[in-house]
Amino acid sequence: MNGELYFEDVGVGEQIPTLDVTVDETQLFFFSAATYNGHRIHYDKQWAQTVEGYDDVLVQGPLQAALLARAIGDWIGGRGRLVSFAVQNRATAHPGEPLTFGGEVTGKRLTDSGAGLVDLDIAGRRDETVLMPGTATVELPRREGPS
Amino acid sequence: MSEDTLIDAESAARVGTIAASATGEVNQRDWQRWAAAVGDHNPLYFDPDYARANGFRDIVCPPLFLQYAVLGVAALDTLRADGSSGAVSGGLAFPSAPKRMAGGESFTFYLPAYHRDEIEMVRTIESIVEKHGRSGSFVLVTWRTVYHNQRRELVAEASTSMIARP
Repeated sequence: MNGELYFEDVGVGEQIPTLDVTVDETQLFFFSAATYNGHRIHYDKQWAQTVEGYDDVLVQGPLQAALLARAIGDWIGGRGRLVSFAVQNRATAHPGEPLTFGGEVTGKRLTDSGAGLVDLDIAGRRDETVLMPGTATVELPRREGPS
Repeated sequence: MSEDTLIDAESAARVGTIAASATGEVNQRDWQRWAAAVGDHNPLYFDPDYARANGFRDIVCPPLFLQYAVLGVAALDTLRADGSSGAVSGGLAFPSAPKRMAGGESFTFYLPAYHRDEIEMVRTIESIVEKHGRSGSFVLVTWRTVYHNQRRELVAEASTSMIARP
Protein backbone atom coordinates (compact mmCIF):
# COMPACT_ATOMS: atom_id res chain seq x y z
CA MET A 1 0.00 0.00 0.00
CA ASN A 2 1.41 3.34 -1.03
CA GLY A 3 1.51 6.04 1.61
CA GLU A 4 0.89 8.96 -0.69
CA LEU A 5 0.53 9.09 -4.43
CA TYR A 6 0.05 12.55 -5.91
CA PHE A 7 -1.40 13.59 -9.23
CA GLU A 8 1.89 15.25 -10.13
CA ASP A 9 3.81 12.01 -9.60
CA VAL A 10 1.97 10.10 -12.31
CA GLY A 11 2.87 10.12 -16.00
CA VAL A 12 0.98 8.95 -19.06
CA GLY A 13 2.27 5.55 -20.13
CA GLU A 14 3.18 4.56 -16.59
CA GLN A 15 2.23 1.05 -15.48
CA ILE A 16 0.57 0.52 -12.13
CA PRO A 17 2.12 -2.27 -10.02
CA THR A 18 0.80 -5.64 -11.14
CA LEU A 19 -1.13 -7.85 -8.75
CA ASP A 20 -0.45 -11.59 -9.19
CA VAL A 21 -3.12 -13.96 -7.91
CA THR A 22 -3.79 -17.66 -8.39
CA VAL A 23 -7.37 -18.19 -7.28
CA ASP A 24 -8.14 -21.54 -5.64
CA GLU A 25 -11.47 -23.25 -5.02
CA THR A 26 -11.61 -22.04 -1.43
CA GLN A 27 -11.41 -18.43 -2.59
CA LEU A 28 -14.11 -19.10 -5.20
CA PHE A 29 -16.34 -20.48 -2.47
CA PHE A 30 -15.79 -17.55 -0.13
CA PHE A 31 -16.39 -15.03 -2.91
CA SER A 32 -19.63 -16.74 -3.91
CA ALA A 33 -20.68 -16.70 -0.26
CA ALA A 34 -19.74 -13.04 0.20
CA THR A 35 -21.76 -12.07 -2.89
CA TYR A 36 -24.70 -14.43 -2.22
CA ASN A 37 -24.07 -16.14 -5.55
CA GLY A 38 -25.49 -19.64 -5.87
CA HIS A 39 -24.46 -20.24 -9.49
CA ARG A 40 -23.21 -23.81 -9.68
CA ILE A 41 -20.50 -23.11 -12.27
CA HIS A 42 -18.40 -21.70 -9.42
CA TYR A 43 -18.50 -24.79 -7.16
CA ASP A 44 -20.05 -27.77 -8.96
CA LYS A 45 -17.40 -29.12 -11.31
CA GLN A 46 -19.68 -31.76 -12.79
CA TRP A 47 -22.33 -29.15 -13.57
CA ALA A 48 -19.73 -26.82 -15.08
CA GLN A 49 -18.45 -29.59 -17.32
CA THR A 50 -21.51 -31.57 -18.33
CA VAL A 51 -24.18 -28.88 -18.44
CA GLU A 52 -22.32 -25.70 -19.29
CA GLY A 53 -19.43 -27.21 -21.23
CA TYR A 54 -16.45 -25.77 -19.35
CA ASP A 55 -13.24 -27.60 -18.42
CA ASP A 56 -13.59 -26.80 -14.74
CA VAL A 57 -15.42 -24.47 -12.36
CA LEU A 58 -15.01 -20.80 -13.28
CA VAL A 59 -13.48 -17.86 -11.48
CA GLN A 60 -16.32 -15.36 -10.99
CA GLY A 61 -16.19 -12.35 -13.30
CA PRO A 62 -16.96 -10.06 -10.35
CA LEU A 63 -13.98 -11.57 -8.47
CA GLN A 64 -11.71 -10.70 -11.39
CA ALA A 65 -13.21 -7.20 -11.33
CA ALA A 66 -12.64 -6.95 -7.58
CA LEU A 67 -9.02 -8.03 -8.01
CA LEU A 68 -8.55 -5.29 -10.61
CA ALA A 69 -10.08 -2.77 -8.21
CA ARG A 70 -7.75 -4.10 -5.49
CA ALA A 71 -4.73 -3.44 -7.72
CA ILE A 72 -5.97 0.10 -8.33
CA GLY A 73 -6.71 0.67 -4.63
CA ASP A 74 -3.25 -0.53 -3.63
CA TRP A 75 -1.72 1.88 -6.13
CA ILE A 76 -3.72 5.02 -5.26
CA GLY A 77 -3.47 4.62 -1.50
CA GLY A 78 -5.71 6.12 1.15
CA ARG A 79 -6.16 9.54 -0.42
CA GLY A 80 -7.01 8.36 -3.89
CA ARG A 81 -10.62 7.86 -4.95
CA LEU A 82 -12.05 5.46 -7.48
CA VAL A 83 -14.28 7.65 -9.66
CA SER A 84 -15.30 5.20 -12.35
CA PHE A 85 -14.61 1.58 -13.20
CA ALA A 86 -15.71 -0.40 -16.25
CA VAL A 87 -14.79 -3.94 -17.28
CA GLN A 88 -15.89 -6.58 -19.75
CA ASN A 89 -15.81 -10.34 -19.26
CA ARG A 90 -13.96 -11.55 -22.34
CA ALA A 91 -12.60 -14.97 -21.41
CA THR A 92 -13.05 -17.46 -18.59
CA ALA A 93 -10.50 -18.39 -15.94
CA HIS A 94 -10.24 -21.49 -13.79
CA PRO A 95 -8.82 -22.06 -10.31
CA GLY A 96 -5.10 -22.83 -10.25
CA GLU A 97 -4.27 -20.53 -13.15
CA PRO A 98 -1.82 -17.70 -12.43
CA LEU A 99 -3.60 -14.42 -13.20
CA THR A 100 -2.29 -10.87 -13.29
CA PHE A 101 -4.15 -7.62 -12.73
CA GLY A 102 -2.71 -4.30 -13.77
CA GLY A 103 -3.11 -1.12 -15.72
CA GLU A 104 -1.53 1.73 -17.59
CA VAL A 105 -2.07 5.47 -17.30
CA THR A 106 -3.66 6.78 -20.49
CA GLY A 107 -4.48 10.35 -19.53
CA LYS A 108 -4.41 13.08 -16.91
CA ARG A 109 -6.81 15.98 -16.58
CA LEU A 110 -8.08 18.55 -14.14
CA THR A 111 -11.75 19.10 -13.43
CA ASP A 112 -13.27 22.58 -13.37
CA SER A 113 -12.93 22.51 -9.59
CA GLY A 114 -9.26 21.59 -9.85
CA ALA A 115 -9.40 17.91 -8.92
CA GLY A 116 -6.74 15.74 -10.54
CA LEU A 117 -8.14 12.85 -12.51
CA VAL A 118 -6.09 10.01 -13.96
CA ASP A 119 -7.47 7.69 -16.63
CA LEU A 120 -6.33 4.08 -16.85
CA ASP A 121 -6.60 1.16 -19.19
CA ILE A 122 -6.85 -1.89 -16.96
CA ALA A 123 -6.79 -5.62 -17.61
CA GLY A 124 -6.92 -9.00 -15.94
CA ARG A 125 -4.74 -11.48 -17.83
CA ARG A 126 -3.67 -15.11 -17.91
CA ASP A 127 -0.26 -15.01 -19.59
CA GLU A 128 -0.91 -13.00 -22.76
CA THR A 129 -4.65 -13.68 -22.82
CA VAL A 130 -6.76 -10.71 -21.78
CA LEU A 131 -9.59 -12.09 -19.66
CA MET A 132 -11.04 -8.79 -18.55
CA PRO A 133 -10.21 -5.50 -20.28
CA GLY A 134 -11.52 -2.23 -18.95
CA THR A 135 -11.01 1.37 -18.03
CA ALA A 136 -10.97 3.30 -14.79
CA THR A 137 -10.65 6.86 -13.60
CA VAL A 138 -9.16 7.77 -10.25
CA GLU A 139 -8.84 11.06 -8.45
CA LEU A 140 -5.48 11.72 -6.83
CA PRO A 141 -4.56 14.47 -4.39
CA ARG A 142 -2.56 17.40 -5.77
CA ARG A 143 0.61 18.64 -4.12
CA GLU A 144 -0.52 22.23 -4.42
CA GLY A 145 -4.13 21.54 -3.64
CA PRO A 146 -6.91 22.53 -6.06
CA SER A 147 -6.18 25.92 -7.55
CA MET B 1 -37.14 -10.65 -35.96
CA SER B 2 -37.15 -14.30 -37.01
CA GLU B 3 -39.35 -16.97 -35.51
CA ASP B 4 -36.43 -18.68 -33.83
CA THR B 5 -35.38 -15.60 -31.90
CA LEU B 6 -33.88 -16.29 -28.49
CA ILE B 7 -35.87 -13.42 -27.00
CA ASP B 8 -39.42 -14.20 -25.97
CA ALA B 9 -42.07 -11.51 -26.39
CA GLU B 10 -42.63 -11.20 -22.67
CA SER B 11 -38.99 -10.32 -22.03
CA ALA B 12 -38.84 -7.98 -25.03
CA ALA B 13 -41.82 -6.05 -23.69
CA ARG B 14 -39.98 -5.28 -20.49
CA VAL B 15 -37.29 -3.08 -22.05
CA GLY B 16 -37.46 0.34 -20.41
CA THR B 17 -39.25 -0.91 -17.34
CA ILE B 18 -37.92 -1.35 -13.84
CA ALA B 19 -36.49 -4.85 -13.49
CA ALA B 20 -35.83 -4.73 -9.81
CA SER B 21 -35.69 -2.38 -6.90
CA ALA B 22 -34.40 -3.12 -3.47
CA THR B 23 -33.16 -1.48 -0.34
CA GLY B 24 -30.53 -2.76 1.99
CA GLU B 25 -28.31 -1.65 4.80
CA VAL B 26 -24.59 -1.40 4.17
CA ASN B 27 -22.89 -3.58 6.75
CA GLN B 28 -19.21 -3.45 7.61
CA ARG B 29 -18.92 -7.14 8.47
CA ASP B 30 -20.44 -8.06 5.13
CA TRP B 31 -18.09 -5.80 3.15
CA GLN B 32 -15.11 -6.98 5.20
CA ARG B 33 -15.98 -10.60 4.42
CA TRP B 34 -16.15 -9.62 0.76
CA ALA B 35 -12.80 -7.80 0.94
CA ALA B 36 -11.24 -10.79 2.71
CA ALA B 37 -12.55 -13.09 -0.04
CA VAL B 38 -10.84 -10.82 -2.57
CA GLY B 39 -7.66 -10.74 -0.46
CA ASP B 40 -8.10 -6.98 -0.33
CA HIS B 41 -6.80 -5.71 3.02
CA ASN B 42 -7.08 -2.01 2.16
CA PRO B 43 -7.15 -0.27 5.58
CA LEU B 44 -9.83 2.15 4.34
CA TYR B 45 -12.23 -0.78 4.74
CA PHE B 46 -10.93 -1.95 8.13
CA ASP B 47 -9.14 0.76 10.12
CA PRO B 48 -11.20 3.77 11.30
CA ASP B 49 -8.13 5.82 12.27
CA TYR B 50 -6.59 5.30 8.85
CA ALA B 51 -9.86 6.15 7.09
CA ARG B 52 -10.28 9.33 9.16
CA ALA B 53 -6.71 10.37 8.46
CA ASN B 54 -7.56 10.12 4.76
CA GLY B 55 -10.63 12.32 4.77
CA PHE B 56 -13.46 9.89 5.53
CA ARG B 57 -15.60 10.04 8.65
CA ASP B 58 -15.17 6.29 9.27
CA ILE B 59 -14.19 3.11 7.43
CA VAL B 60 -15.83 2.97 4.01
CA CYS B 61 -17.60 0.34 1.99
CA PRO B 62 -15.47 -0.88 -0.94
CA PRO B 63 -17.02 0.77 -4.01
CA LEU B 64 -17.58 -2.53 -5.83
CA PHE B 65 -19.30 -4.04 -2.79
CA LEU B 66 -22.17 -1.55 -2.87
CA GLN B 67 -24.07 -3.68 -5.42
CA TYR B 68 -24.28 -6.57 -2.96
CA ALA B 69 -25.54 -4.55 0.00
CA VAL B 70 -29.07 -4.58 -1.38
CA LEU B 71 -29.36 -8.28 -2.19
CA GLY B 72 -32.44 -9.88 -0.72
CA VAL B 73 -33.22 -13.39 0.42
CA ALA B 74 -33.68 -16.23 -2.05
CA ALA B 75 -35.65 -19.29 -0.97
CA LEU B 76 -33.91 -22.42 -2.20
CA ASP B 77 -37.00 -23.68 -4.01
CA THR B 78 -37.11 -20.49 -6.07
CA LEU B 79 -33.62 -20.85 -7.52
CA ARG B 80 -33.00 -21.64 -11.15
CA ALA B 81 -31.65 -25.09 -12.02
CA ASP B 82 -28.14 -23.62 -12.24
CA GLY B 83 -28.39 -22.45 -8.64
CA SER B 84 -28.61 -18.76 -9.47
CA SER B 85 -31.32 -16.44 -8.25
CA GLY B 86 -33.31 -14.55 -10.83
CA ALA B 87 -33.66 -11.61 -8.49
CA VAL B 88 -30.73 -9.58 -9.80
CA SER B 89 -31.96 -9.87 -13.38
CA GLY B 90 -35.51 -9.03 -12.40
CA GLY B 91 -36.66 -12.55 -13.17
CA LEU B 92 -35.78 -12.27 -16.84
CA ALA B 93 -35.73 -15.80 -18.18
CA PHE B 94 -34.83 -16.79 -21.70
CA PRO B 95 -36.10 -20.35 -22.06
CA SER B 96 -34.18 -20.71 -25.33
CA ALA B 97 -30.98 -19.34 -23.80
CA PRO B 98 -30.65 -20.68 -20.26
CA LYS B 99 -26.85 -20.47 -19.88
CA ARG B 100 -25.95 -17.12 -18.47
CA MET B 101 -22.78 -15.29 -17.62
CA ALA B 102 -21.87 -11.76 -16.64
CA GLY B 103 -21.09 -9.55 -19.61
CA GLY B 104 -19.56 -6.47 -18.10
CA GLU B 105 -20.06 -3.77 -15.55
CA SER B 106 -19.48 -0.04 -15.59
CA PHE B 107 -19.73 2.04 -12.44
CA THR B 108 -19.49 5.70 -11.57
CA PHE B 109 -19.01 6.45 -7.89
CA TYR B 110 -20.13 9.77 -6.43
CA LEU B 111 -20.09 9.37 -2.66
CA PRO B 112 -18.68 6.92 -0.12
CA ALA B 113 -21.02 4.54 1.67
CA TYR B 114 -20.66 3.91 5.38
CA HIS B 115 -21.75 1.25 7.85
CA ARG B 116 -25.53 1.31 8.31
CA ASP B 117 -26.20 3.57 5.35
CA GLU B 118 -29.53 2.60 3.82
CA ILE B 119 -29.08 2.08 0.09
CA GLU B 120 -31.92 2.05 -2.41
CA MET B 121 -31.23 0.42 -5.76
CA VAL B 122 -33.43 0.87 -8.81
CA ARG B 123 -32.54 -1.22 -11.85
CA THR B 124 -34.07 -0.56 -15.26
CA ILE B 125 -33.84 -2.84 -18.28
CA GLU B 126 -32.07 -0.67 -20.82
CA SER B 127 -31.87 -3.08 -23.73
CA ILE B 128 -32.28 -6.72 -24.77
CA VAL B 129 -30.48 -7.53 -28.01
CA GLU B 130 -29.79 -10.75 -29.85
CA LYS B 131 -26.23 -10.98 -31.16
CA HIS B 132 -24.54 -13.41 -33.49
CA GLY B 133 -20.94 -14.16 -32.55
CA ARG B 134 -18.39 -16.70 -33.70
CA SER B 135 -19.65 -19.18 -31.13
CA GLY B 136 -23.28 -18.72 -32.14
CA SER B 137 -26.20 -16.55 -31.12
CA PHE B 138 -26.64 -15.06 -27.70
CA VAL B 139 -28.77 -12.51 -25.89
CA LEU B 140 -27.16 -9.39 -24.44
CA VAL B 141 -29.16 -7.73 -21.68
CA THR B 142 -28.10 -4.34 -20.31
CA TRP B 143 -29.40 -2.81 -17.13
CA ARG B 144 -29.02 0.73 -15.78
CA THR B 145 -28.88 0.94 -12.03
CA VAL B 146 -28.87 3.88 -9.64
CA TYR B 147 -28.00 3.74 -5.96
CA HIS B 148 -29.20 6.39 -3.50
CA ASN B 149 -28.61 6.64 0.22
CA GLN B 150 -31.05 7.49 3.01
CA ARG B 151 -30.48 11.21 2.36
CA ARG B 152 -31.55 10.72 -1.27
CA GLU B 153 -28.00 11.45 -2.40
CA LEU B 154 -26.82 9.67 -5.52
CA VAL B 155 -24.06 7.31 -4.36
CA ALA B 156 -23.35 5.42 -7.58
CA GLU B 157 -24.63 4.59 -11.02
CA ALA B 158 -24.00 1.39 -12.91
CA SER B 159 -24.53 -0.16 -16.28
CA THR B 160 -24.29 -3.95 -16.16
CA SER B 161 -24.83 -6.59 -18.78
CA MET B 162 -25.51 -10.30 -18.95
CA ILE B 163 -25.02 -12.79 -21.74
CA ALA B 164 -27.52 -15.64 -22.11
CA ARG B 165 -26.68 -18.47 -24.49
CA PRO B 166 -28.61 -21.53 -25.73
